[in-house]
Amino acid sequence: MIHYRNIHKAFDLPVLAGVELLVETGEMFAIFGPSGTGKSVLLKTTIGLITPDRGDVEIDGVSVFFGGKRALEAVRRNVGYVFQNAALFDSLNVFDNVAMGIPEDELSRMSRRDVVRRVGDALDLVNLEPREVMEKIPSELSGGMKKRVGIARAIVGRPKILLWDEPTTGLDPINTAAVERLIMGLSRELEVTSLVVTHDVEGGLEMCDRVSMLDGGVLRFCGTPAEFRTSPDHVVRAFVDRAAAEAALDMVTESND
Amino acid sequence: MLQVPAPIAAWFGGFGRGTRVTLEHAGSLGRLFWQICRVTAQLRVSLRDVLNQFYIMGIQSLPIVLVTGSLAGIVTSQQGGYQMTSVVPRYVLGSLVVETVVLEMGPVLTAIVLVGRVGARITAELGTMVVSEQIDAYHSVGRDPVALLAAPRVIAGVIVMPLLVGISNLIGILAGMLAAYYDSGLGYESFYYGARLFWHSWDLFYSFSKAVAFGLAIPLISVHMGLLTRGGAEGVGRTTTNAVMFMTLTILILDALFPPLMLQ
Repeated sequence: MIHYRNIHKAFDLPVLAGVELLVETGEMFAIFGPSGTGKSVLLKTTIGLITPDRGDVEIDGVSVFFGGKRALEAVRRNVGYVFQNAALFDSLNVFDNVAMGIPEDELSRMSRRDVVRRVGDALDLVNLEPREVMEKIPSELSGGMKKRVGIARAIVGRPKILLWDEPTTGLDPINTAAVERLIMGLSRELEVTSLVVTHDVEGGLEMCDRVSMLDGGVLRFCGTPAEFRTSPDHVVRAFVDRAAAEAALDMVTESND
Repeated sequence: MLQVPAPIAAWFGGFGRGTRVTLEHAGSLGRLFWQICRVTAQLRVSLRDVLNQFYIMGIQSLPIVLVTGSLAGIVTSQQGGYQMTSVVPRYVLGSLVVETVVLEMGPVLTAIVLVGRVGARITAELGTMVVSEQIDAYHSVGRDPVALLAAPRVIAGVIVMPLLVGISNLIGILAGMLAAYYDSGLGYESFYYGARLFWHSWDLFYSFSKAVAFGLAIPLISVHMGLLTRGGAEGVGRTTTNAVMFMTLTILILDALFPPLMLQ
């Protein structure tokens, strides 16, 4: 269970202003919202990549910001983070990138053969052929492949929670659909809690058990996909309508291409 | 109530901001240095990473260090020869070249070359890693970027710099000796005699002390600045420019601090 308690964060301007949110164990949860509303900032607070000005995050009752260094290490060990642009380490090949997702102490106890097997399994799960990609460096991979390697790195440590930051951004519709299937499949197969920050409203509504919407740094909506679609809140409705229009425009553009 | 004229208020405002920024940098550099010492003492730094940085900073910098070192020796010899009058024995040129190269030109020129070649590279590399979320990715998988990225660069810098300065000194003296022979007609034995006459072993220690200080400052500042990068490609460019200015200024200030500390 992830509990965001009264999260406040400002850079030059306020980004998050008292976000209170509870994500239950095992559920798939989406956070929507216009650009610049603090979705990614909120996600980064989950594992202490950004420290809020006020508030705390608790994961299974453990405080991320007040539990000390060991608590934070334990939290990070149990959380896999998929970055928006994959954030693969440029100087490492795919094998080393994915192996980096195995906790350090566990890695030091494993034989080379076990590490190769574990990395291979993770690459298999994201539908990449291990023997073809392991020796490649990130610059030799396509955008979709980078994303998959990023996902493999996030899952190789066998986390209990997966955080997805804009997992389909920058992908074409075919790869978007493939990554969405992957997110759903992995979340069910690995029995993890998934928290997805996405612009892709339709995809998020299809994938997730519950969804929420951030607007102006506050939580505007939290409920089921069906409730989101029929929400009477005019801000939510405007957001849904605009997202639908953008999706239709994208489809027309793609078909013209 | 006393009204402070606007230009004076602006000056004090600027001075206050400058002081705050300087103190923030100093605090953050001190903390980074402490973290590097800690991970090094805990043996969490990979030897392979240090050797890799050693190769990049040392071996790859060797050609440019050889060129600058030899030119420094030649120029010193030529200018010294030009200024020598018949009152001063010509063999003094040997001392002039050796002392200038060892005490000043070797360490400082090598450091300035490494600011451009190594420091700028480190800042741009780490800055790009920050803006592309690779540093966040290290944290997310429970790895410490200080142990993986910062410490190998700083350790390699501290080891490499004295070696490069030693090579630069040697090549500078040899080039200066050749220039003295061809330009001023000073024979090798006279050059050697002059060099020995005013030589102190302490000078070599002084030269290497400077090299260690510069070898620590360049990677430390470049890593620090790289990790501070914000704002995409433009931010990387801006931070790299600032880092080069910061490192150059630090080298020159340290250089000015050495004589009163070690040559009294």
